[in-house]
Amino acid sequence: MLSVRDLTVSVGPETAPVDIVAGVSFGLAKGEILGLVGESGCGKSMTSLAVMGLLPQPGPRVRAGRVLLEGCDVTQLQPWQRVEAGHGRMAMIFQEPMTSLNPVRRIGDQIAEAVRVHEGISGAAALVRARELLELVRLPDPKMQLSAYPHQLSGGQRQRVMIAIALACRPQVLVADEPTTALDVTIQVQILGLLRELCNRLDMAILFITHDMGVIAQLADRVAVMYAGRIVETAAVDELFGKPRHHYTRGLMDCMPSRNSGARRLPTISGQPPLPGSVAAGCVFALRCAAVRDECRVATPPRLEASQGHEVLCAFPLAGGELP
Amino acid sequence: MSGNVILDVRDMMVSFSARRAGRKYRVQAVDGVSLSLAEGEVLGIVGESGCGKTTLGRTLVGLVQPDSGNINLKGTEMIGAGGSGLREMRLSVRMVFQDPNASLNPRRAIGDSVAEAADISGFFKSRAGRSAAIAATLTAVGLNPSFAARYPYELSGGQRQRVGIARAILPTPSIIVADEPVSALDVSVQAQVLNLMMDLRDQLRLSMLFISHDLGVIGQISSRVAVMYMGRIVEQAGTRTVLDHPLHPYTRALVAAIPKPDPSKRILGAIEMGEPPSLFTRPRGCAYAPRCPMASDRCLVDAPQLRSAGADGRTIACHNV
Repeated sequence: MLSVRDLTVSVGPETAPVDIVAGVSFGLAKGEILGLVGESGCGKSMTSLAVMGLLPQPGPRVRAGRVLLEGCDVTQLQPWQRVEAGHGRMAMIFQEPMTSLNPVRRIGDQIAEAVRVHEGISGAAALVRARELLELVRLPDPKMQLSAYPHQLSGGQRQRVMIAIALACRPQVLVADEPTTALDVTIQVQILGLLRELCNRLDMAILFITHDMGVIAQLADRVAVMYAGRIVETAAVDELFGKPRHHYTRGLMDCMPSRNSGARRLPTISGQPPLPGSVAAGCVFALRCAAVRDECRVATPPRLEASQGHEVLCAFPLAGGELP
Repeated sequence: MSGNVILDVRDMMVSFSARRAGRKYRVQAVDGVSLSLAEGEVLGIVGESGCGKTTLGRTLVGLVQPDSGNINLKGTEMIGAGGSGLREMRLSVRMVFQDPNASLNPRRAIGDSVAEAADISGFFKSRAGRSAAIAATLTAVGLNPSFAARYPYELSGGQRQRVGIARAILPTPSIIVADEPVSALDVSVQAQVLNLMMDLRDQLRLSMLFISHDLGVIGQISSRVAVMYMGRIVEQAGTRTVLDHPLHPYTRALVAAIPKPDPSKRILGAIEMGEPPSLFTRPRGCAYAPRCPMASDRCLVDAPQLRSAGADGRTIACHNV
């Protein structure tokens, strides 16, 4: 349904662009949740903004590649064209719901606004639909909450409201950028459960962006691991956690405290991610890779298919033995 | 509990006044917390946002005045102590904050930030001694001594948090209160900083109060864990005891809600536990009763007291376990 091909997002002058997202490709099927995981600065948020057509202006731009939603390249459309042409059935939710909601407008009005834009209905009918949406996201006492202001809600309730607004356009694809990072684990588990339920009920695809491997394991069907603007490994979630092939993926899993209970020291990945554009040749992970060889520093690594649907961007991938 | 107790807190109460919808409220952020900390011990404090864990930490370093209670530091009572007592407390109990960007002055060189507490206390006798101490401290946290002349904007997040730790260990603290010190860091950097804190704990015999919402991190670094809910400790025991065999229904829910990095152990949809009640309307009985699957009639009227329960020094506040 959604197909992203060789998406490249760049900053800097036209003559000397620096790629912060470098040739990212992935597909997303109906009812599927794809987890896009990586550390700060790896380009995962820029990828999601580029997919949504929401890159800040002026600033980063899509230099190459296509984002096809049911065959239509949406990178070529202006935002208003996306809505008008009906090709814009993508919605996004963000990390901090308080900054995404208008503090001086009632919840009901904010949801109804999105309903009016997308469905062309007005006034009372939009409010009725707003109430349905609040029921859909399981906000307790939806009738009362329509007239509440954002500050009267808890963080988890606000995120439910954001999801309701996102659902107003009946999206085929929901892009969720770290929607539970600011929430307590007890609330996070409920929001993740809600997203999974909505995905099944509405046959909606979700692109879920996070830095948390635990959240990925709980929610995603497939996973794409991002590092320095590239997808370094893609696989089904069981396959990825059972047999990681990329040294970075393995490193990320090893340094999670919850996988090391009782260990004296945590394994680490030495160093820090490279600055965009600072790696002139070879593998972007070579500087931090424990298994680096001389070839890695000069030759661009190939994209190997380790098994059906399991791709890895590495010349010398891990054998894929079971993790301890 | 083992070794010498260096910090002993009894019945600490902290409240704030707040105004909501034109009415004045008293919010009881910390509601009768008692805890003790032995030399070289790390006590993890865990709980949801708003449970009072940060207020507890800030009270221990003297940033917040408690309403009542006792803080006994190495045998000296600190509440009501005058200027010199407070100075002693502030040098001995030091804080590492969550956000190293916000806690470092952007216009001060790293070395000056690191030495600030020691400068104020008149610790250094010579300029050369000061420079040497800064260099040694930066080395101890894994930074090159040349960082002393740099400014915060030149550093990465992980490096800034190392500076945050460096300024907490100079001159010589006995207790570190670390408030979510790794929450703002990426997982690979988080592991590096946690390793550093564990090394310092062992080398300097530091005691720590490690405040976090992340039970995985707590499990890694602390020897004991106290679980807080609405200003009170509801369960406390050795770390493995709490994480592997939680007894209090709230602790059980917290442990169950951790997203496990194992796709074969999915919990979504299995946990529906509601939200914490507002601090403005504390329930009459057990504060957890409105969310608790085990709540009985008694829980709604009678607040359970912390009592000892079983091995490993476990204490628990619940009528039903």
